[in-house]
Amino acid sequence: MKKGRRTHQGARNQQSSFERQRLAWQAHHRQTARDALHRLKQRPIGTAMTLMAIAVALVLPAALWLLLGSAQVLDRNLSDTAQLTVYMTPSASDADASSLLERVRARDDVSSVTLVTPEQGLEQFQKTLGLGDALSGLDKNPLPAALIVKPVTQTPEAVSALSLALKQMPKVDEAQVDMQWLERLKQLSTLGQRVVLSFGALFALGVILIVGNTIRLSVENRREEIEVITLIGATHAFVRRPFLYSGAWLGLGGGIASLILLAAGMAWLSAPLTALAESYGGQWAVPSLGFEGSLFLLIVSTLLGWLGAFIAVGRHLSHMTPK
Amino acid sequence: MIAFEHVGKRYGGRFEALADVNFRLSRGEMVFLTGHSGAGKSSVLKLLTCLERPSRGRIVVAGHDLGRLGNAQIPFYRRQLGVVFQNHQLLFDRSVFENVALPLSIQGFTADEVARRVRAALDKVGLLHREKALPIELSGGEQQRIGIARAVVHKPALLLADEPTGNLDPQLSADIMRLFEDFNRIGTTVLIASHDLALIARLKHRVLRLREGRLVGDEGMGS
Ligand SMILES: Nc1ncnc2c1ncn2[C@@H]1O[C@H](COP(=O)(O)OP(=O)(O)O)[C@@H](O)[C@H]1O
Ligand SMILES: [Mg+2]
Repeated sequence: MKKGRRTHQGARNQQSSFERQRLAWQAHHRQTARDALHRLKQRPIGTAMTLMAIAVALVLPAALWLLLGSAQVLDRNLSDTAQLTVYMTPSASDADASSLLERVRARDDVSSVTLVTPEQGLEQFQKTLGLGDALSGLDKNPLPAALIVKPVTQTPEAVSALSLALKQMPKVDEAQVDMQWLERLKQLSTLGQRVVLSFGALFALGVILIVGNTIRLSVENRREEIEVITLIGATHAFVRRPFLYSGAWLGLGGGIASLILLAAGMAWLSAPLTALAESYGGQWAVPSLGFEGSLFLLIVSTLLGWLGAFIAVGRHLSHMTPK
Repeated sequence: MIAFEHVGKRYGGRFEALADVNFRLSRGEMVFLTGHSGAGKSSVLKLLTCLERPSRGRIVVAGHDLGRLGNAQIPFYRRQLGVVFQNHQLLFDRSVFENVALPLSIQGFTADEVARRVRAALDKVGLLHREKALPIELSGGEQQRIGIARAVVHKPALLLADEPTGNLDPQLSADIMRLFEDFNRIGTTVLIASHDLALIARLKHRVLRLREGRLVGDEGMGS
């Protein structure tokens, strides 16, 4: 009976010791994270400089990303306004114009079409050029009738196919597509994405180097401590842990600083940019990363800090293996 | 407990610090390792703690062949040892309590268990009342005692010490040695490297003598 009780107790002790070990492990992590933060606070100037360096490295790709994002919004707006202008031959009559209008309107690949009579054309011409009545002296209106056609599909291929079809219709002189600059804009935006990506990769490397260098110095400062705890049985993971937490804190702090810089910079730029956009008849919402974007940036910066620390400590540890 | 078989150690491929060293230590023994400065005492301890690997021969400690121990296993092997360093190597930015607690934190003990064991170890070295002090506030002898408390706090089966009385006066040195004898009495195997011949002669223990990397004497065996 005595034996039975002991076994039972043994099993319970074992279970609780496992649970206790897990709790001790968690407590150790919390303690290490807190210590790492405390150490960073103890060197406020060095830490602030590192954080600013990280923030600067993160702000540039993030800002580029934001500007590119708003350029894409602009691009999308412009695509919606992609249109063709169909000029009729000078000999076309009003009846020809209205019959063409009906035929174009009936097409499946045309979403809308408006007729600009020679008179309306002249009026617009005068207005946009600011010529006033200077053209009223002309005895004959030199402008042909025109149709403004909006295609259903906005892709360059669909639009040029439509223009070809329109050109072959009777009494049509010319179908002009204003697509080339749009295509260029699209190419520019692809280029922009790649520029942002490569800048992003480059500056991510920068963050790793900044954190790595800071951690290398603190490893150097705590060299004796590392030797002592290694000699009494600390694993490499244990030796690394405080530095990984420092690196992660630096990354997170740098990320937060970069978000502040970014918000400040965008606020500062927003007034002139809005004015600029309005002068082109466009709309400009002040770009921001939003909640998800900000979270993404913080996660990435934290991971980069962690990685920088990992590399820095790893280099030190590899020198410490016995020969 | 410890077996050295034809152990040789070269530093930098040329200089021979140890040559053909053979000895055995049984469980529960207390042994001094002595010799002139540069004889190779520290090298023996570095081999035992896996700070260095032997260039030749075989070292077996508590069933572990140290030559075959992988780098990942070394920490777990070291946890079975208690090590007292020449220049005590306490961490000066932490309290006495935290210094002594180090081996336990590394091994993942819970906070209450850490506290219990640290107090027990401090009590054994007679410094329980200084647990909150910083090492810098302690005398040399007290610092060395803290070093010993840290070495025994996890109850290792083997205690290694390199010149533990290096900078202490004879009275303090004798006190420290008495402390090692106390731990040996409760079953810990103890190996102490020291060149303090007068002190060693007074304590009647087995003595291994090194000269220029060779074992030249093994006295007082079985006494
Ligand atoms: N890391 C090392 N590199 C080169 N030589 C060393 C190293 N460690 C010790 N030695 C040399 O090995 C010999 C033995 O040193 P050591 O074991 O420290 O002797 P002891 O502790 O008995 O004074 C000495 O001549 C010393 O200079
Ligand atoms: Mg020595």
